[in-house]
Amino acid sequence: MPAIATTGLTKHYGPIRALESLDIDVHEGEIFGFLGPNGAGKSTMIRLLLGFLHPTSGEGRVLGFDSVRESVAIRRRIGYLPGGIALYDSLTGERLLDYLAELSGRPPVRRAQLCERLELSDRTLRRLVRDYSRGMRQKVGIVQALQHDPELAILDEPTEGLDPLMQRAFYDLLDQLKAEGRTIFFSSHVLSEVERVCDRVAIIRQGRLVALEAMAQLLARRKRNVEMRLQGAAPRLDDVPGVSGVEIVDGRLTCHVEGDVRPFLAAIVGAPIVDLTIEPARLEEAFLEFYEGGEPA
Amino acid sequence: MNGPLFRHAWRSQRLKLGVVSTALLIWGLLMPIIYAQYGSQFQTLMESGILPEQFAKFGNGDIFSLPGSIALGIIHPIAISLTSVFAVGFSAAAIAGERQRGTLEVALARPVSRRHFYLTLLAASFGFVGVTMAALLAGGVIGSAFEGVIGQLGLRNLPLLWLNGVLLFGAIAAIALAASVSFDRFAPALGVTLGVVVVMYFLEILGSLWPDAEFVQPYSLFHYLKPKVVLTGAAAPVDFVVLAGVIAMSMVWALVVFPRRDLAAPS
Repeated sequence: MPAIATTGLTKHYGPIRALESLDIDVHEGEIFGFLGPNGAGKSTMIRLLLGFLHPTSGEGRVLGFDSVRESVAIRRRIGYLPGGIALYDSLTGERLLDYLAELSGRPPVRRAQLCERLELSDRTLRRLVRDYSRGMRQKVGIVQALQHDPELAILDEPTEGLDPLMQRAFYDLLDQLKAEGRTIFFSSHVLSEVERVCDRVAIIRQGRLVALEAMAQLLARRKRNVEMRLQGAAPRLDDVPGVSGVEIVDGRLTCHVEGDVRPFLAAIVGAPIVDLTIEPARLEEAFLEFYEGGEPA
Repeated sequence: MNGPLFRHAWRSQRLKLGVVSTALLIWGLLMPIIYAQYGSQFQTLMESGILPEQFAKFGNGDIFSLPGSIALGIIHPIAISLTSVFAVGFSAAAIAGERQRGTLEVALARPVSRRHFYLTLLAASFGFVGVTMAALLAGGVIGSAFEGVIGQLGLRNLPLLWLNGVLLFGAIAAIALAASVSFDRFAPALGVTLGVVVVMYFLEILGSLWPDAEFVQPYSLFHYLKPKVVLTGAAAPVDFVVLAGVIAMSMVWALVVFPRRDLAAPS
């Protein structure tokens, strides 16, 4: 049974098509990235799954429960971090976490571990939330989402406001949760973090699914950036399969290589190469390819 | 009803509840004292014809009798304003305010249905109204005892008067909560509720001061709060039924609208 499955999930606000016939499935025990620029429909999708919004058509199922009719059962088994989380300012961090744990109806078995990982001391938790910095609020947001050890965590832009050290601690936490069999669904527009932690990724654009594939496949399909310095004539690369964007300036050749590298390597054998660098393109570039195309699929 | 949410509502309002209840107790205390000290003088003044007769009928209260002075204390704008801190302020903010701040989705991400969420907050509102009404009436009893006129007070009718007050302010709270579930922001929910309360209060006072406008009084909820009549043992069940009916209609509205609403991301 998939942890999350949507079939033709659609949400319109009058003439605005926030989400259009979305079909995705998230497997149990995986970290699933949900990518898209601001306004693409990521939060709409999450709110549909939680029962905050009612679909115009289609259906969403979370842990086997229908997102409209059984949303309470869904919320009993998940943890949720809203994007730009708002907290009760008049409570202390500790009181807030206690209150939200009580509402969850499950003991906060992971709280101590999470607070230690995210460096939330007892002293900090005894302060009022209104005195917290943005990063501290985000940490408390992460703790409240995970403290009751949910089977599925739905995290909307989870690293917003975290410093790089805390981001790393958070990624380690995700790795640990995954190792323990938990499922993580998180939305982001920070591609480096998706590349760092996700098993699979869905990319949406203007409310439509553009791609859904394993991270390894997405990365394998991305182009590699090649740069070589030459002492002599440049090899002929124009007709080599997978090679594009060839430019030669002052004995320095740059190009992109996509897919199988063997034709490229065969083409440069014997060339007067002094130095050669081949580096994989960042996920950003693979991601941009989807956005530079025409209409979404 | 959801226990943690109910406790959270009480915990977050306890200071405000203490201040408002104390203020109402003091206000309730003053009315029997004013009656005992100045009631006969005012009655002489009224009988002299210097003041219009309608001045003795403000909101069906007066200061020529103990039940009348307590009734005047309850219907007076000061008591209405203090009780409205919870009946209007808390109730209008309970859901629309949380929605505006963005905390509603943190709470609703837990296994709490929207209906339970609403019913819990309605119960909390009724609880606050119950405490404030009790404080107001307790002030009246203490003031009466202090002035040695408690014998004129029908003590056994006090629970019924408390119920009458709770039903009136409970009806206002139910209207406020119905507005609260219908809007994404606090200001419209508060505005609608205050508009209803002010118009109804105006209709009741207008009808009580101007005989030609008496026909508008039944359209006001305040018309069904009758402290003097209740304290003299002549309460009419229809007054209670009308207020309970308004509560029931407001609840039906909220229970139908809230679960069906889309809760988009707070802007």
